[in-house]
Amino acid sequence: MVINKIIFHDKLLFMKRKIIGILIVLCVAALVGKACINRDIPETDAPVLRKKADVILHDYKQPENKTVNGIDYLQSQNTIGDFGGDMVLSTIGEGPKTFNPFNTKDNISSQMSEIMYDGLVTTQPVTGEVIPKLAKGFEVNGNEYIIYLRKGIKWSDGKSITADDVVFTWKDIILAGFGNTSIRDSIVVDGELPTVHKIDDYTVKFITPKPFAPFLRMLATPIAPKHIFEPAVKKGKAYFDTFQSTNIKPEGLVTSGAFKLKEYVPAQRVVYEKNPNYYEINKNGDKLPYLNKIIYLIVGDINNEVLKFEGGELDVISLQGANVARFKEMEKHSDFTVYNIGPNTGTMYLSMNLNNRKDDNGKFYVDPKKQFWFSDLNFRKACDYAIDRKNMVLNIANGLAEPLFTPESLNSIFLNKNLKPYDRDLEKSKELLRKSGFYWDKKGHLRDKFNNHVEFNLYTNAGNTEREAIGVMVKQDLEDLGMKVNFKPIEFNSLVNKLVSTLDWDMVIMGLTGSPLEPNGGKNVWMSNGTLHMFNQRLEKDMNSKRLPWEKRIDYLYEQGALAINFEDRKKYYDEYQEIVYEQKPFIYIYSPIIIVAIRNKFKNVFPTPLGGVTHNIEEIFEKGIN
Amino acid sequence: MQILIYILKRILQTIPLLIIVSLISFFIIRLSPVDPLAELKLNPSVSKETLQRETERLGLDKPIIVQYGKWAKSFVKGDLGITSNGEQVSAKLKERIPNTLLLTVIVIFLTWIVGVPLGILAAVKWKTPFDRILTVLTSIGMAIPSFFFAVLLLIFAVKTGWFPVGGLTSSNFLEMSFSQKVMDITRHLILPVTVLFTISLAGLQRQMRANLLDVLDSDYVKFARAKGLSEFKVVFKHALRNAINPMITLLGFEFAGLLSGAALTEYVFQYPGLGRLILEAVLRSDINLVMASLMMGAIMLVAGNLIADILLIITDPRIREAGGRQA
Repeated sequence: MVINKIIFHDKLLFMKRKIIGILIVLCVAALVGKACINRDIPETDAPVLRKKADVILHDYKQPENKTVNGIDYLQSQNTIGDFGGDMVLSTIGEGPKTFNPFNTKDNISSQMSEIMYDGLVTTQPVTGEVIPKLAKGFEVNGNEYIIYLRKGIKWSDGKSITADDVVFTWKDIILAGFGNTSIRDSIVVDGELPTVHKIDDYTVKFITPKPFAPFLRMLATPIAPKHIFEPAVKKGKAYFDTFQSTNIKPEGLVTSGAFKLKEYVPAQRVVYEKNPNYYEINKNGDKLPYLNKIIYLIVGDINNEVLKFEGGELDVISLQGANVARFKEMEKHSDFTVYNIGPNTGTMYLSMNLNNRKDDNGKFYVDPKKQFWFSDLNFRKACDYAIDRKNMVLNIANGLAEPLFTPESLNSIFLNKNLKPYDRDLEKSKELLRKSGFYWDKKGHLRDKFNNHVEFNLYTNAGNTEREAIGVMVKQDLEDLGMKVNFKPIEFNSLVNKLVSTLDWDMVIMGLTGSPLEPNGGKNVWMSNGTLHMFNQRLEKDMNSKRLPWEKRIDYLYEQGALAINFEDRKKYYDEYQEIVYEQKPFIYIYSPIIIVAIRNKFKNVFPTPLGGVTHNIEEIFEKGIN
Repeated sequence: MQILIYILKRILQTIPLLIIVSLISFFIIRLSPVDPLAELKLNPSVSKETLQRETERLGLDKPIIVQYGKWAKSFVKGDLGITSNGEQVSAKLKERIPNTLLLTVIVIFLTWIVGVPLGILAAVKWKTPFDRILTVLTSIGMAIPSFFFAVLLLIFAVKTGWFPVGGLTSSNFLEMSFSQKVMDITRHLILPVTVLFTISLAGLQRQMRANLLDVLDSDYVKFARAKGLSEFKVVFKHALRNAINPMITLLGFEFAGLLSGAALTEYVFQYPGLGRLILEAVLRSDINLVMASLMMGAIMLVAGNLIADILLIITDPRIREAGGRQA
């Protein structure tokens, strides 16, 4: 008994100490936690960003042609800067998979390889027009494109850049179907490909089978050095697929861009160094670029990227959501500036499955009662009016987005500005539903005229917190109409499989990235036989099934839009297609996030634009006071 | 000789095991609705022809069993195949294995060199304040999720600027002298090593303490004490030898964790190791890469156990004799 008591006492003592220990731990944790919380400023302090106009109408001057000693340089018109210094940027994900610009299948690889290779033309970062780059100038006559090359400019290894390189790149790589063929596939007109001809050493002519407007922008495709790529092309397509992979020694890359590869460390960084033979000079006649190196850190996720920027390891970062407010607050006593460069090219939307076909087993992809709802324009419009975009912009995007109503992104030069935005209007929704025979039972549940309760699944990809948040709000908004929405975020790959292969979904929240310059890139989404015609996806066996009247019209508009040459003519076609989408609601657009970037103040000649981003004039950017 | 036969038997036993592991993993990956081409399919600029070619290149148009057969055949030949991006799997793994080994070997070395003595000390000083403090500390160590701890340390690195924010080398690594390079890597390693060390130290120390306490309570130790042997001799000569056996088994598992044990920490610290590579591969359903890493994990586990068993035979005569009789 006595012994027991002692042990008990001992245990008690031990427990006491343990509890004290735990308390200490908790206190420490709470203190740490509190320190973190205090760093965040309250959400109510919405950031006051500089007006969009401030940034877009900055005094960026486009470089001009200038011939010195018979060499056709490009001359920077902006402030003359100091030479030297590095700029550290970042890329999220796994890093590049190849440095061969013709093999890239993902954005990061394209970005990483295109830094090194210039195309014949490029996009004016403010206006979006096509302007010469590697070419000195160009002429377009109907279906003929005459390109004049710069005389005397060189590859990074000192060999001249001539018409042979251009003809080789187009004829033997792109048109011959080497590497990633998406460019080739996108310039086929009526089954025919364009042709390319050398006129003299510095003049090249392209002829498209028919006038084909998107072709001009395709000329921004990088030009390859013939003396490096030709041996690889001769070894066949299989070899070409592995040519200039990420294992290549940097010396093996011969480039025309402002920078060339210096080092690639898998999962850590890609380092580029100045190309001494670059063809742009400043007003003093010194060769650009100003920076010695640009470094892309390969980071796994946004949080790490933010930490790296705060830790001073990064010079440029693009920000999202809550971070913007925090950075704006920090900006005052910090060495960076936060820029608002307007809505991005992403479009977030809610889509319904309009599919009315059967699968191989004779089963409908979509339950017929649901087909009845989704195919009803009044139902789609009712959903559209029920969605509170403003609320989503405020609560999900922290006010850093703009409500969206059109398939073309808000910064697109083809945006149809006549399509007016509108607010949430539940009364209008209810009226539309009533018109189609829907009614509400005693419990307030929405029922169709066959007495079915309106209930369906809403999918999005799990892990994308923004889309998940939108899903929750869409669910609430639609449930205000008495619908029952089962919101199911699922894994990205599984979702894509549903959307393009098994087709067994009801509603989905997705996003697509469009081009602000060329709507024809959306033909896979909008043409009825497209591989991403999600709202009414036709599998191979269904290609000849009946098209909806407005689908037919969009098909026609897309075909005509590509064939017309003048911007004004093209715009008419693309305006009408946007109007149809606005009316028919196959996609209910939600919002477009605004791009916010923070850049360290030590860098000058920084002119971020919605079309060109931050690095469009990377060769002109310099680090002030580096010497 | 008997040991050799035993080893041979064990190796033969692993073959069906590996086949089963590979079959299960292959089918789970392939039957999951994860589409390796999802990203391409969702890219509006990718044409139907490109998708078709990719499907054929990855062999996705054939039945699963044929795909498995093809994979198994080349695996046996030592060819790990190519990743979905067309790179050699073996080259990809080779890039990352040294980095992961660098991290895990340092961590295992440190934990054992610190954890085992601490465990012994705690057992010998049982119920003294020293033991209690250690118990509290190891409780904390075991209770903190590695993920959370890693994030805390990262924030610490950002706020103080004393340590780099993740990675393994600085961006100007190429231009450094040798000693600078060593310093640079050390600076990058300190935080991830701290996380992994804290977490595995706690477990190891407790294990060692518990083992030794068990043994210290046994009759032969009491007898040794009664015989008047010095405490040092009792603990190190008699008790420790018996308490170390379970630790050897543990060492076998540590061996298996050499290549895969640090994935979460690697991810938080953006450490260019295997863990990050494999996580990304799984998300993409990059079958050859995932299979290669799974098989590597299975083989390492089997090998680790085998090594532990052999070590046990060497250290423990009881097992040696029992094993001998069986053979």
